[in-house]
Amino acid sequence: MKIIKDKVAKLSFVALLITMTAAMFYAPTASAHGEKSQAAFMRMRTIHWFDLNWSKEEVAINDTMTISGKFLVFAGWPETVDKPEVSFLNVGIPGPVFIRAGSWIGGQLVPRSVSLELGEVYEFKVLLKARRPGDWHVHSMMNVKGGGPIIGPGKWVTITGSMSDFVNPVTTLTGQTINLENYSLDNVYFWHALWYAIGLAWMVYWVRKPLFVPRHIAVSSGKGETLITPTDKKAGLIVGVGTLVLVAASMASTNEKYPVTTPLQAGLLRGMKTYQMPEATVAVKVDDATYRVPGRAMQMTLTITNNGDSPVRLGEFNTAGVRFLDPAVHVDETGYPDDLLAEEGLSVSDNSPLAPGESRTVEVTASDAAWEVYRLADLIYDPDSRFAGLLFFWDANGNRQLVTVDAPLIPTFI
Amino acid sequence: MSASQSAVRSRAEAVQVSRTFDWMILFTLFCAVLGGYHIHYMLTGGDWDFWTDWKDRRLWVTVAPIVSITFPAAVQACLWWRYKLPLGATLSVLALMLGEWINRYMNFWGWTYFPVNICFPSNLIPGALVLDVVLLLGNSMTLTAVVGGMAYGLLFYPGNWPIIAPLHVPVEYNGMMMTLADLQGYHYVRTGTPEYIRMVEKGTLRTFGKDVAPVSAFFSAFVSIIIYFLWHFFGRWFSKTDFISDDAT
Ligand SMILES: [Cu+2]
Repeated sequence: MKIIKDKVAKLSFVALLITMTAAMFYAPTASAHGEKSQAAFMRMRTIHWFDLNWSKEEVAINDTMTISGKFLVFAGWPETVDKPEVSFLNVGIPGPVFIRAGSWIGGQLVPRSVSLELGEVYEFKVLLKARRPGDWHVHSMMNVKGGGPIIGPGKWVTITGSMSDFVNPVTTLTGQTINLENYSLDNVYFWHALWYAIGLAWMVYWVRKPLFVPRHIAVSSGKGETLITPTDKKAGLIVGVGTLVLVAASMASTNEKYPVTTPLQAGLLRGMKTYQMPEATVAVKVDDATYRVPGRAMQMTLTITNNGDSPVRLGEFNTAGVRFLDPAVHVDETGYPDDLLAEEGLSVSDNSPLAPGESRTVEVTASDAAWEVYRLADLIYDPDSRFAGLLFFWDANGNRQLVTVDAPLIPTFI
Repeated sequence: MSASQSAVRSRAEAVQVSRTFDWMILFTLFCAVLGGYHIHYMLTGGDWDFWTDWKDRRLWVTVAPIVSITFPAAVQACLWWRYKLPLGATLSVLALMLGEWINRYMNFWGWTYFPVNICFPSNLIPGALVLDVVLLLGNSMTLTAVVGGMAYGLLFYPGNWPIIAPLHVPVEYNGMMMTLADLQGYHYVRTGTPEYIRMVEKGTLRTFGKDVAPVSAFFSAFVSIIIYFLWHFFGRWFSKTDFISDDAT
């Protein structure tokens, strides 16, 4: 019996230590590399990021860079994900290695959540100020309430310098300029230390006396009342009244020192300005689409009709941030991340200019290791096996138009 | 070993052993409360305690006292009715805040680099001291629940105001007005905590105009009283000695 008791005691002590440390080791999520683990259909059928630009690849501490571009809120938004009625434009970085100095959708500052419309294109920009040195993967990102984080393409950016040089000056409406990085920190430490010291003093007052065994004996033999002396009560009274006085006095002096304060600001921003893409004059019908597992290639049979007045060619297929280009039509010069760019990944059976009024059925192949690396091929295991993406067509003058595709996908394993 | 055979040979030795026991029990109790209370508070108070841009005058003021009066009530029940020690609330809160400070400093700042001025814990000590004092002077659970619980809820906001007020100074940022605390939340990127998760300034107290903090504090105080009763009973039940065989009698 005794052995069992000892074992139980020992085990519960170990369990206790584990829970204790578990709580103390909690840290807010810092990793931003969920991009590959996110379900393929989430990346292909929700937010399509395009025209992305990272203004720098190397930034010094306190310097800024921007990540800008456009995103299309896909019209064929999956049933299983909540509509982006409450969304927040975020950046995927490992914790505050940059601070977000500003973020805009359609030119409007968006420090709060916004409501987005399906089928619309928005222009965005995020201004980042470098804070912590290192090599960081910087992603565009949209958090959707009920849908989770939707991570856009990421690019490696190097921050140089020393974090101790980082400053974050802000001028308040009361006219002072402060450094938000360590603003009011002394005040936080002061009040916490003061109150903790008072609490400890109260502990010490009681811990000086014999504690558990003698007091337990006294209480169980009915002499509990004798344990509390008049001095104890006096000490209690002093601490009680002292606490109330200190709270009242510190509150009053704070109000005097900070006469102007406002409540936290919150609320949803609606009616975001959309971006008008040039009207698409090309119509695309997906006749069939297959994904060839061994070849890491997607094949689509498309019937393309040109209803415009100038000949066009298909130059790019973009899905989940991976861009397949036909170099004869379009070459990327924006410094798009290598791992997401298949410069020669798009081949079209007949990509001669499609004349106005003409219609043509072509075989389009998008092949690149990115299908595997970015686990996009996993979409063949989705319950609703569909693919979606953006097709970009160019005419001879470099005018671009955007057409979305959304169709079932059949895998082939041979 | 039976209780009739003493392990000590003299009174002086008995006192010494008893004192060693005191320190051991106190240390174990402190650590146990730290672990349990910290987890409990993180799961229930969580983000409201982690971030300055969650420390509003409605929900933070309401939630924090209600979920944090739990362990103080239970530990008080044990320490007062068994040992006549009016320490339970203070001990619990000191343990919790030590754990929180270790976590915020080592992990939030040391590991993830959030400045400490955005992620410091709430101050719960004034309320805890008053809870202990009311129990000491009144020697009554009901009185402690009603007067102490009330004070615990009401003292929370004023007890924290000197710490958070500087962060509620307004600033104009790119054409929008916000507080410095809002700006901290915006600047220091949290990928896992998007803005819409933030539960602040929500509720039906808007009809009370701009003085919502006192109204929230009163509401919180009333609920704190009920939670105090509940957890005081938990504490009493857990500190029963029925679990161990009592062959001394
Ligand atoms: Cu990444």
